[in-house]
Amino acid sequence: MSSPPVTPPVVTPPVVATENLTKTYGGRSVVDDLNLSIPAGCVYGFLGPNGSGKSTTMKMLLSLIQPTGGRVQIMGRPMTRGTRRELLGSIGSLIEAPPGYAHLTGAENMRLVQRLLGLNREQIDDAVRTVRLQDQMDKKVRNYSLGMKQRLGIAMALARRPRLLILDEPTNGLDPAGIEEIRGLLRRLADDGVTVMVSSHLLGEIDKTANVLGILSQGRMIFQGTRSELMTASAPDVIISCSDPQAAVATLRPFDARHAGRSDVAIPALDDQQTAGAVAALVGQRIGVYGVRRDEQTLEDVFMSLTAGGGL
Amino acid sequence: MNAPAVINEFAKMRHLKVGVFGLAMVVAVVALALFALVSNPDVDLGDSSAWNALLAGMSLGIPLVSPLLLAVLASRQTDMEHQGNGWLLQATSGLTPGGLCRAKFMALGLVVAVLTVVQSLLVLLAGKVLAGILPPAPLGHWAGFTLCMLAVNLVVLAMHILISAKVENQLVALGIGVLGTLLAVFSQGLPPVAAHLTPWGYYSLALAADYDVSEYVTLPLAYPSIAALTLVAALLFTVFTSRFDRQEA
Repeated sequence: MSSPPVTPPVVTPPVVATENLTKTYGGRSVVDDLNLSIPAGCVYGFLGPNGSGKSTTMKMLLSLIQPTGGRVQIMGRPMTRGTRRELLGSIGSLIEAPPGYAHLTGAENMRLVQRLLGLNREQIDDAVRTVRLQDQMDKKVRNYSLGMKQRLGIAMALARRPRLLILDEPTNGLDPAGIEEIRGLLRRLADDGVTVMVSSHLLGEIDKTANVLGILSQGRMIFQGTRSELMTASAPDVIISCSDPQAAVATLRPFDARHAGRSDVAIPALDDQQTAGAVAALVGQRIGVYGVRRDEQTLEDVFMSLTAGGGL
Repeated sequence: MNAPAVINEFAKMRHLKVGVFGLAMVVAVVALALFALVSNPDVDLGDSSAWNALLAGMSLGIPLVSPLLLAVLASRQTDMEHQGNGWLLQATSGLTPGGLCRAKFMALGLVVAVLTVVQSLLVLLAGKVLAGILPPAPLGHWAGFTLCMLAVNLVVLAMHILISAKVENQLVALGIGVLGTLLAVFSQGLPPVAAHLTPWGYYSLALAADYDVSEYVTLPLAYPSIAALTLVAALLFTVFTSRFDRQEA
C-alpha cells in the first residue's frame, strides 16, 4: 500500500524583501546592508531615530532612489526602473510631506489621481470613505488641517486599492486624536489584507498597531521580528528581593549585581539557569530571598537602549 | 505622450488665473499694435504700409509683454509641484519629473499657441474692421511673423518650465523673466549677432516691420535662425527632461 502524498507546507513569500540593500552618498553609508522581510498582511513598524535611513530605504523600495548595492523584491518581482511603473500600480505610498495641490479642492485632487491611474469613480469614493474625508471634499486643500492633508494623502495612496501601502511617518505633527485615527485606519487596512509598512521615530506611535517591527539605526537593521521577540532579544534585569541587599550585592558581584532600592538587587543579562544559581548563592549565605522577578520594561525602553548604542 | 498627464495639467490650471494672465497678454499686444497705428499721423489707411504699422506695433508689443507673462505662467504651473509635494506624488504614480515637465509644456504650450494666434488674428481683424485699412493684408508675411513669434514664445516657455522645476524659489524664475523682457526689447537695437546669444534676443529677429525715416517698412523674418533656435531648444528640452527622469527623489 502506497503512503498518501505529502503536501508541502505553503510558504507565503514576503511582500517586500531586500537583499544587502545599500545606499551611499559620497562614501557615507545612509543604508547599510539591509535585509528587510515584510510578511503579507502585516503592519510592519519601521522604526529608527531621525536620520537613521528610513525614508531613504522607503524611497529605494519605490525605486525613487537607485540603490548603490543590493536588491529589492516587491511581491516576488525585482523592483527596477523597468518594472517600476507596473509594480507601482499595486503600491500606495505617502512619502515625506502629504501631497495635495493647495489651490484645488480635495475632490479635484482626487480626480487628478483618478485620471493619472485610470481608476473608476467607485475606487475614489471608497478611498475617501476609508479615510472619512467625504464631507471635506469640496474644501480647498489650503484650508485643510494637517490631519486632513494626511488623510487626503492616504486616500490618494489607497485609491488604486494597493496590496502594499508604504507610509513614511504618517502621524508626524498630528495631535493625539489624529494619531489614534491613523492607528485605527492602519488596523482596518491590515484586517482587509493590505500589507502596511509604516515608519516612525517614535515607538509609541506604532507600538500598538504594528505586529512586526524593524528597527534601524545609522542605516543598519538592528532588530527585525515580532514585538515579543524584541522583548526576548533584550532580556530585562532580574530583580531579587532579599533580607540583606548589601550582602547580596557583595555575594553576586561576579554577576554585576547592583542595589536597586529598598530590598531589591538587580542583575543584568541573566538567563534562567544563572538566576537559579544566583538564588542558591544567596541562600547559601543565609540571605532570605523574598521574591525573584524580571524587571518590567516597556518597549520604549528596549527601543531606546537598542538605538542609543547604534546597534546590538 | 501621456494624455492623462496633459489633461491633468489643464485641470491644475483651475483657480490659477491663467485666463486673466492670457487675456492681459492678448489685450496688451493688441492695444500696443493699435497704438502704433493711431499714434502716427503719417499712416495712410489707403496704403498697404498701414499694415506695417500694426506689424511693427506687435513686433514691439510681444517682446514687451510675453517674456514676463510666460515666466509667470510657467512658474505658477510648476511651483505647485514644489508646494504640494507633487513631484513625489506623480513619481509614485509612475510619472517621472521629466514626464511631468513635458506634460506641463504640452498643456501650457497649447495655451500659449492659442494666445499668440488669437492676438495676431485680433490685430488683423482690428486693422480691417476698426481701423478700416483698405489694401489687402500681407497674409503670408503676417502668418510667418505669427509663426516666428509662436516659436520664440514656446522656446521661452520651455526654458521657464525647466527653470521653475529646478529652482524652488520662484523669485529667481520671475527675475529671469524681467531680465528677459529687457533683453527682448533692447536686443532690437543690438546687432543681429548679439540677438542670437539669448532666447529673448530672437524676438528681435522676428521683427516683421519697423519705422524707417518717414514710414513703416516690411522687414525680412530670420526664418533660418528661428528654426535653428527651435531645433536646439527642442533638443535641450528633451535632454534636460530626460535628466530629470533619472534624478533621484
